Amino acid sequence: MNDHLAAVVTAIDEMDLDGIEDLVQVCLNSGIGAEEIIEKGISQGLDIVGQKFEEGEYFLGDLVMAGEVVKTGMKRVSAVMDPAKTKQKGKVVIATVEGDIHEIGKNILGMILSTAGWEVIDLGVNVPADTIIETVKSSGAQMIGLSVLLTTMIGAITQVVDGLREAGLREQVRIAIGGACCSQALADKMGVDAYGETAVEGPRIFDRFKEDLASA
Amino acid sequence: MNPTERILAVLDGKPVDRLQTFYPGFDAWPTQQVLGKPLISGEAIFRNPLTRKIFDKWGPKLVNLVTDPAINADFMKAIQAAIAVGFDLVWVGPTEGQVMVWNSTTLLRYSGSFYELTVDGHGNMYYMYREPAFNTTEDYYAWPYFVKPDDAAQKSYKFFTKAMKKYGDKICVMPQVQGLHETMVLSLGFVNMAVFVKKEPQLLQHFIAYLEAYAMKLCMAMLDAGVKVILLGDDFSNKTGPSMNPKINDELFGASYQRITKAVHDRGGRIILHSCGDNTKMFDYFIKWGFDGGHAYENTSNVDIYKEKERHGDQFTIVGGVGVDYLLTEHSKPHEVEEGVKKLIDALAPGGRFIIGPVHTHPDMDMSKVKIMMETVRRHGNYPI
Repeated sequence: MNDHLAAVVTAIDEMDLDGIEDLVQVCLNSGIGAEEIIEKGISQGLDIVGQKFEEGEYFLGDLVMAGEVVKTGMKRVSAVMDPAKTKQKGKVVIATVEGDIHEIGKNILGMILSTAGWEVIDLGVNVPADTIIETVKSSGAQMIGLSVLLTTMIGAITQVVDGLREAGLREQVRIAIGGACCSQALADKMGVDAYGETAVEGPRIFDRFKEDLASA
Repeated sequence: MNPTERILAVLDGKPVDRLQTFYPGFDAWPTQQVLGKPLISGEAIFRNPLTRKIFDKWGPKLVNLVTDPAINADFMKAIQAAIAVGFDLVWVGPTEGQVMVWNSTTLLRYSGSFYELTVDGHGNMYYMYREPAFNTTEDYYAWPYFVKPDDAAQKSYKFFTKAMKKYGDKICVMPQVQGLHETMVLSLGFVNMAVFVKKEPQLLQHFIAYLEAYAMKLCMAMLDAGVKVILLGDDFSNKTGPSMNPKINDELFGASYQRITKAVHDRGGRIILHSCGDNTKMFDYFIKWGFDGGHAYENTSNVDIYKEKERHGDQFTIVGGVGVDYLLTEHSKPHEVEEGVKKLIDALAPGGRFIIGPVHTHPDMDMSKVKIMMETVRRHGNYPI
């Protein structure tokens, strides 16, 4: 790997918030394109952090810190990116359900998905089912990620599932859930398509959804 | 043995005649199922347009007149409800006045966090964390609402002197003290907390020193009031593990907690740590810091309460065990509650150092299921087990 890109990977792995901007700039100055910096630098660094999180070496705080490093690096890269040349895997609508205002997990998911090449439409927290469904309709997104932390709010998942069904969209749209109160059993019970225990699983889940939809 | 002596014996690993039981008396609806609902609900009062106008205009000024007395009256009722159901240990508080009504939609915690005022679905006001008050270093150092630890301690002393006089011989009253880590995360926000560990260590040390002094003063006031067992509430973990690296937690908070637990022990008290989530990687630290036991072991997290009994059951008392996600809700069937509780008793009660109860407070907890839990304990919880 190019040394400059390797330095970006290391900076993200080591959560070097102060150094990342300069390292990205060095890459740009040496003629490395924005897309390549994202793909071979930022995204790879984040993959390593995610892997260490899944192996128990890193913790949520490390993921959040790495996310801040990525955000800082992405700002510099985005400034020189040509939107027309940017490849996107697809659109994902993410939201914390109505009645729940927890956002850490959702924000990490959004950051990881964006870096992995997804166009993320983040509706924020405490989002009514109607808003989610309207956004799916207006954006053409075929994937939804719902964050639910509170057991008292799991009914909101059903509202989204039922709402999509009533709108005639359920077959075309895949839904994943995550958050403290969620489990595979809950996902099965609520009739959603996947459960992610951590945000790090997000890219795998949505890549799988994309394949499912392509083969459907 | 009186109720408090029994709890102290369990926390010390000494034998008692029967399994002890624990009630997290935090939410209004479970208590109201036992004692009855108020004539006019909190929701009706608070949602009244006139009340909203009053709180929008004078909310912060109504702390002593309305907010503190209303909150503390509910906590006193929680003790009554716990006694009525037959519990041995009740979690009470915080009672020192931690919050003010900022306006008709918002609560402010003096330590620097904002909460959405909402309802619990049963006619009571409820709250949900909204955001930190300290988004920058400047916000923290300019914050005008930090409470003097002595002032908080005096309020707490007053409440628990009264509570112990009325109920101290009927139940072991366990007041809550706010934790250092959780308070900082709520006040700084999780992102800032993670960033500040690297970039603003002095601010963190300054904040920790304040929170330690606050917790220490409160603990001493509670012991002065006659309390023997304290619960320190500090959520260190999420569903899959510690939120921060356990070593960083130890570096930041270990010394403070060691001083607090030592001071409580030196006064003859005991101190339990309430920490949500999967604390598997934190339990060794909790023990090192001097806590006598832990509450939560949330069944919806990845923690394995049975393995923890094997790993630390001879030195750290497990409090909790019964799920509030299903078993203690209206959705469960009575035989499921009985079977679930029996399973916990069979696995965790032998050898002592176990106090059974809900894994967490919950606004929807169904007290008819809690009563089944208690009946099961009465039938199957007599030592030797």
